[in-house]
Amino acid sequence: MSRQANPVDFWRGLALVAIFINHIPGIYYSRFTHANYSISDSADLFVFLAGWAMRYMVGSPGNQPTAWYIVLRVSGRALTLYAAQVMITMVAIAMLAGVALWRDNPLLLEWHNAAAIFQDPVPTHVGLALLTHQLGYFDILPLYVVLMMAAPVIVLIDRYAPNWLLPISLLVYAVTLTFRISVPTWPVEGGWFFNPLAWQLVFVLGFVLAREDGVGGFVRRHIFPIRLIALPIVVAGLFVVLYNWWPDPTKFPQPRLFFLLSKTYVTPPRIIQFLALIAVMSVTYPYILRFASRLVEVLSMLGRNSLYVFCMGSILSLAGQIIRFIFQGNIAVDTAVVIFGIAILVFTAWLPEWRESFKARRGTRVSSLASSPAPAS
Amino acid sequence: MPAPFSQDCQVGNAAIAVESPLPNVSEALRQHQKIKILAIGASTLVRRTARRGGHTDEAREILQHAIKGLDVVMINRGVSGELSAQAAARIQNEVALTEPDLVLWQVGTNDALAYVPLDELENTVVETLRWLRDHKVDVVLVGLQYVDRMEQDTNYKAVRELLRTIATRENVMIVRRYEAQRLLNQAKGSGGGLIPDEFQQSEAGYICLAQYLARAITLGVFGDAMKLRSHPAHPDSPL
Repeated sequence: MSRQANPVDFWRGLALVAIFINHIPGIYYSRFTHANYSISDSADLFVFLAGWAMRYMVGSPGNQPTAWYIVLRVSGRALTLYAAQVMITMVAIAMLAGVALWRDNPLLLEWHNAAAIFQDPVPTHVGLALLTHQLGYFDILPLYVVLMMAAPVIVLIDRYAPNWLLPISLLVYAVTLTFRISVPTWPVEGGWFFNPLAWQLVFVLGFVLAREDGVGGFVRRHIFPIRLIALPIVVAGLFVVLYNWWPDPTKFPQPRLFFLLSKTYVTPPRIIQFLALIAVMSVTYPYILRFASRLVEVLSMLGRNSLYVFCMGSILSLAGQIIRFIFQGNIAVDTAVVIFGIAILVFTAWLPEWRESFKARRGTRVSSLASSPAPAS
Repeated sequence: MPAPFSQDCQVGNAAIAVESPLPNVSEALRQHQKIKILAIGASTLVRRTARRGGHTDEAREILQHAIKGLDVVMINRGVSGELSAQAAARIQNEVALTEPDLVLWQVGTNDALAYVPLDELENTVVETLRWLRDHKVDVVLVGLQYVDRMEQDTNYKAVRELLRTIATRENVMIVRRYEAQRLLNQAKGSGGGLIPDEFQQSEAGYICLAQYLARAITLGVFGDAMKLRSHPAHPDSPL
């Protein structure tokens, strides 16, 4: 039996749909996603909610499984995510190669950082396995893998020294930004688009704020004044994005990275705006539930099956880019891509739930048959 | 002396048309014998002939070879699949962080593939070029990649022409990679070289691109007089 619709699954489902659309560059409908009205975007929401969801794995105080069990569970999750990343990358490579053959167009082989895979496959395949070579728009899951690999440390600190977790995370973040430490890519020289050393803070914030006591408890108790402070920040963020109101980045004092709007380093203005946004938007969930309950159910279903949906969404985004390229992107093509894409995402989320319920029904029938008296011969 | 071409790259030289002075690079060179180059939209090919480093590093090596005592710092900040609008925002951040003398901006290919409206692309590129000029940073635009299949693609052609028009109007240097690579391929077709696969062809294009970049920078720094003194050499054959 799948769990009831809830805010975490709902917002995660919304983030997945937004990621699917935003990963088709140039598509008409990307202007309707919140990335166009906010400094932060669906990637921040996705990583934050991943941290929040990890709290459910860890359990609440007084109802926690053993530390060993938690470590094994989060490590297992990291392995699953890694397998998913490898799988969708291979599918994406095959898609690019297939379309390049079909259209007789080698330009597609060089799209999205794929060139090195075909040009120099020996080191690049090592890079793919090590996650040091990532295709463009297939770079969030490697971040998630690294965060889940670090998750045993995070959950152990949370278990035995909960008050230290956020300060340690902030320290790692501050050092990363001060010295501009990046995680290198290989064999193509560069850095990870989502710097895990910086993005870990968003993940840890999700994990910490999901806790019913500590910082999470404080926020819950003072959510009304927090929302009053958050609202002008969200409005200011809107103006920054729409009218480019952020000051000239060269005018900031050193270390400048703390003041810039950088996605790679998920810089402080971005995190502050994101936290303000979730504080404000969290008030809307009960109203959305009341007036659009069907939408909440569908998006929650996507959120409940987030890994399947994310993987399918990544592949569909690439398919969408290829389709736009072939049909010379226009609004009719974009509409079809979005409608069919979301329909397939919904089907992808529905299928495992149907399978589970089918198994449960069959199990009930078998057990009821087994318990019923045998017919007289 | 201007950075020389290998014999194989010589043929594409005819296509590098729009050259402009690079006053900020000249000034940095005069003051410190050191220039800092920020590469945005970097090469996505691995440089198979080197243990490490991409083709922008190759341009650095050629420059250092061409100008005695010059120290070139090359900063690669390419993001694959990125549209010019996203690159434009990153350029401002990277300029604030790294304070380069010159930006090499490979622009247009992803926008052309994503069918970004031409007016949007024009606004983005022009605004960024003006912002860089205001901040005393020189620019060399690197145009679209050549693929013969795209020769009849009207959007691809329009983006190519738009970039050339912008470069002329804004008086910035553009390396017309498409035209140069097409000439290289034609030379190959007429027996001018041997390029057995598509990637070798592409890699040859990148190697020549590195040479064209180095050449463009030296000409931008030292001016027209140098053109008269240029003569082919053989720093690194692509074929």
